[in-house]
Amino acid sequence: MKITREAVLGLYKQTGTARVDADAAASFQVGDTIQARNINPTGHTRLPRYIRGKRGQIATDHGVFKFADSLAHGAGAQPQHLYSVRFTARELWGGEAPARDSLYIDLWDDYLEPA
Amino acid sequence: MNGIHDMGGVHGYGPIIREADEPVFHHVWEGKALALARVGLAGGHFNLDEFRHAMERIAPVDYLAISYYERWLEGTLMMLDDKGVVTTEEFEARLQELSGERA
Repeated sequence: MKITREAVLGLYKQTGTARVDADAAASFQVGDTIQARNINPTGHTRLPRYIRGKRGQIATDHGVFKFADSLAHGAGAQPQHLYSVRFTARELWGGEAPARDSLYIDLWDDYLEPA
Repeated sequence: MNGIHDMGGVHGYGPIIREADEPVFHHVWEGKALALARVGLAGGHFNLDEFRHAMERIAPVDYLAISYYERWLEGTLMMLDDKGVVTTEEFEARLQELSGERA
């Protein structure tokens, strides 16, 4: 493929998004308590170790997005809901963490299970 | 992948040092490394998630020792090799050729 000047300019000007216009059922609603799955895939994942197994609350449903874990391995986009999930600092780091601190992290549906 | 890149909550790396008036690139080659990665992406040779996973597969000792754009370059070279665009042999041969020109 020939890469033209226009193609490169387009690449830099467009805001790259993984949002897709696809129907996918949301497994969770805002306010739901979830537990992040304890998965340890040998491939790519955007679920950090410090989140796995921890309980949090769905703060925002961003809509349907392509799934990085599958795209990294030629397994297609597997579009699914992406949520902003709130975890308290104490849930992540224990009782000595400040009581008022919390962390919001974007997590795909496949990473979560009901708690 | 439970790799070296997944550093959240890990202790011992010291403070984050913020450079005043930090330039976009510290060296000309860094811009070229960025461009090479973007061209590979634009050309459809690999996608962003494959590229990120390539960087995750850099040997842990190297990952910690090299700079941000060195990781980009290593990741791009791994992708180009994986996808058969430029093989490691072709890359090494060209390096030899260039070092010969310089000698």
